Amino acid sequence: MTSSASRYLPFRALGELSETRYWMYLLLLPSLVLILLVIAYPTLYGMAISFREMRLTRPGLDGWVGFKHYAAMWSDPVFWIALKNTVVWVTAAVVLELALGLLTATALNRDLPGTKIFAVLILLPYFLPNVVAGHMWALMLDPRLGVINDILVRMGVLQSYKAWFADPNAALAATILVEAWHGFPFFALLLLAGLKSIPEDLYKAAAVDGAGVAAQLRLITLPMLKTVIAAAVILRVISLVNSPDLLLILTGGGPGDATQVLSLYAFQTAYKEFNFGYASALSVVMFVILMIFAVAYIRMSRITKE
Amino acid sequence: MIESKRHRRLIANIATYTVLVSLSAFCIGPMVWMFLTSLKYEADIVTQTMQYIPSRITFDNYVAIWTQSGFPLLIGNSLVVTLLTVTICVVTGTLAAYAFSRFAFRGRDRLMLGYLVVRMFPAVMVIIPLYVVMRGVGLVDSRFGLALAYTSFLLPLFVWMLKGFFDSAPRELESAARIDGSTRLGAMVRIVVPLARNGLVASSVFIAIAAWNEFLFALMLTTGQGSRTWPVGLQLMVGEFQLPWAFWPPAASSASSRSSFSSLSSNEPWFRG
Amino acid sequence: MATLSIKDVRKSYGSVQVLHGVDIELEDGGFLVLLGPSGCGKSTLLNMIAGLDDTSGGDILIGGRSVVDLAPKDRNIAMVFQSYALYPTMSVARNIGFGLEMRGVGADKRKRAVEDAARLLQISHLLDRRPANLSGGQRQRVAMGRAIVRDPELFLFDEPLSNLDAKLRVEMRTEIKRLHERLGTSIVYVTHDQIEAMTLGTKVAVMKGGHIQQLADPRTVYERPANMFVASFIGSPAMNFLPGRLVRDANGVRFEASGVSIAMLAGKPAEISERPVILGMRPEELKVAARDQASVTGVIDVVEPTGPETMVTVQVGDRSVMARVPPRFAGQRNEAIFLAVDPASVNLFDPDTEQRIDI
Repeated sequence: MTSSASRYLPFRALGELSETRYWMYLLLLPSLVLILLVIAYPTLYGMAISFREMRLTRPGLDGWVGFKHYAAMWSDPVFWIALKNTVVWVTAAVVLELALGLLTATALNRDLPGTKIFAVLILLPYFLPNVVAGHMWALMLDPRLGVINDILVRMGVLQSYKAWFADPNAALAATILVEAWHGFPFFALLLLAGLKSIPEDLYKAAAVDGAGVAAQLRLITLPMLKTVIAAAVILRVISLVNSPDLLLILTGGGPGDATQVLSLYAFQTAYKEFNFGYASALSVVMFVILMIFAVAYIRMSRITKE
Repeated sequence: MIESKRHRRLIANIATYTVLVSLSAFCIGPMVWMFLTSLKYEADIVTQTMQYIPSRITFDNYVAIWTQSGFPLLIGNSLVVTLLTVTICVVTGTLAAYAFSRFAFRGRDRLMLGYLVVRMFPAVMVIIPLYVVMRGVGLVDSRFGLALAYTSFLLPLFVWMLKGFFDSAPRELESAARIDGSTRLGAMVRIVVPLARNGLVASSVFIAIAAWNEFLFALMLTTGQGSRTWPVGLQLMVGEFQLPWAFWPPAASSASSRSSFSSLSSNEPWFRG
Repeated sequence: MATLSIKDVRKSYGSVQVLHGVDIELEDGGFLVLLGPSGCGKSTLLNMIAGLDDTSGGDILIGGRSVVDLAPKDRNIAMVFQSYALYPTMSVARNIGFGLEMRGVGADKRKRAVEDAARLLQISHLLDRRPANLSGGQRQRVAMGRAIVRDPELFLFDEPLSNLDAKLRVEMRTEIKRLHERLGTSIVYVTHDQIEAMTLGTKVAVMKGGHIQQLADPRTVYERPANMFVASFIGSPAMNFLPGRLVRDANGVRFEASGVSIAMLAGKPAEISERPVILGMRPEELKVAARDQASVTGVIDVVEPTGPETMVTVQVGDRSVMARVPPRFAGQRNEAIFLAVDPASVNLFDPDTEQRIDI
């Protein structure tokens, strides 16, 4: 330890270099190169691919095709179904998750004995990998072996076992339920942090002024949580639109295209059909729609804040 | 008045516990069911009447998944990929986080924001061209290639997390070390990094778990036994074995450690994940 | 031990200039205090002497050697920080010896030097502890030990006492003064506390807005402040300012304002013309006097006994004037009060430039 710096010449030279003004750029260089290499370049390249024909199954097909893929998308019925499903799926899941998250956060925020244990249990689903969460629910919703069918039949809700993922409406509803189960702890944790940051004095002041529980919720809790909710919703929407994992595992987009969403459609176009050009065009369009939504949403939530 | 207030509080407490208990049941119920199923004999799973509590217990499912499905290989690949990812992130990310934390330079805030925005890119949008690029340089179906791909979304996260930990190590300590005879590099290695040790560990664990669980990149970028990770292996197994009942341990262990970690340390930026 | 020369040193961040051509000369063994409100550039200047900040222009010489291109480790200086900056993972002994360790001094020699420094600072019994287990005053002593053990050419202190409570601050102030007299090493000391500046410095540089307002020994800064900023920044309660006029009459030059008439100079020096000025008087220069000897007449507003003395706020014309009078002062609110002032102790300032006028 004493003088490792002087013992190793390279280290010493690097040490002298660290006293120059170039040091911070040298520190940034490795990560910057890596990020340019694995994100910036592929992203730009991906945009370029969307204007090209690229099918790995047919190497002969190659070359620039301009807006061909985008035009094809316009008349592709699956694209419009996927777009509609994306909106429905994301909206329903986020609303459900927000409601459950708010309920959980309020309950946890009362800090009753044992809260920590409940917090750990409730957080578990969020950290379960998509693959595992997906298969777990696939097992429970299985038409023959599913425990949920059994429970519902015993309760008299269902006459007989139901093949959840065979019925288009039931399939979409079931995937929304699974997603809500998987994602609501995210809202619970964020909202809990938000609740904890509201000063206790505000509630005391309100109580002294004669405000009841309902008035406190309306006048203090919700306004103070607005920013947190806005941030949580936008983060979740971005993450849901971008990740097809859960649907890929549960339904693969079926039955028919009943649970097909944009990210999954793009992924399958690339992964199954190797039609990289069209898949890239799909993901670019998805990205643009998402960005427009994000910017509009952030603008709007700022206006309501003021 | 006091009587009714106490009464109200009691009702509120009961309601709170009811909510917490039912939500906890909703959350862990599926996991418990998975666990119970994994202990059943095949015949007891495929029965006319559902067995809620297994009548007999067996570990055959675990033995089967370990011996018949190449599971050890999958776990091994996952370990290698995770280790490579963490190594790349720690080496390059620590330097970048330190630079962001300690130096004021033109465009710093914009660059940091850039690191964050990059994470908003849809995975599919990156995966497709990345596949083409990596195929060109022979990195498809390689554990190193997959780790490299993971740094695309884990490195920015690592840098942001670690910067927070570096920020909380006082600058004056570094100045003192430099006056005492260290170079900037020496002060960083001897003083700042040891101080941020816990943060370094926490950030590394965070990205290690993310890499361990990742599915989509792995599905696209691995094709053979040589590099396939366990989430992909599991997905493919579902076709071969119907349902592999005993797949949950590698996931559940990491999930439960993450979950307890997050609920106990309140200021960790886990939600960016 | 060495001299310090700061020559036309400038600093800017982008287009914002925070130091505008600073010049300071410090004699060998001197004690320079950089004094000013926060944001005046004093800490920036100190950091540039240390090499922790780059200079944007000018030169800094320690012992006649230009150091602007040297790294902090090569400047042969030692520094005591506001937060003490003790390495939390090392023992007190290793903290003190770290500078020697970095310079490759052998373990035996290092141990002796650390023990000597610890004895001097009376912290020998703390050498095995960790910084976290020390009180504020003890940490302060360790930080000073770390500085003196290296026997540098120049000590730098960055507001070293501001994290201590009032009692310890006085104690450590005395300690620093004793240490300086014993070691004789030149010191640059940054503070916003005017009492530290008065008690410790052989030279005080009062700074504001990146300019040096006055560079002089503490007595001069206190008695003959260069401008109204320096006058008001040093001294508590602050110097009284009264706007008025210089007038000439048969007996000489007088200062006149509502309720105030002070004979400044006998005779009629031709070079002094009648003009508006601002009069500055320290509260302790105002003495209670008989009516016929009074040069300031007013009405008592507030009387505040502090124990060793009593502060009286007096309404003079439309202005408030503070006087420091003996403890058993018997005046009451709304009573008339008559005060005398020694003309030699007052200062005159130009109302436009706020600079001192010498007459």
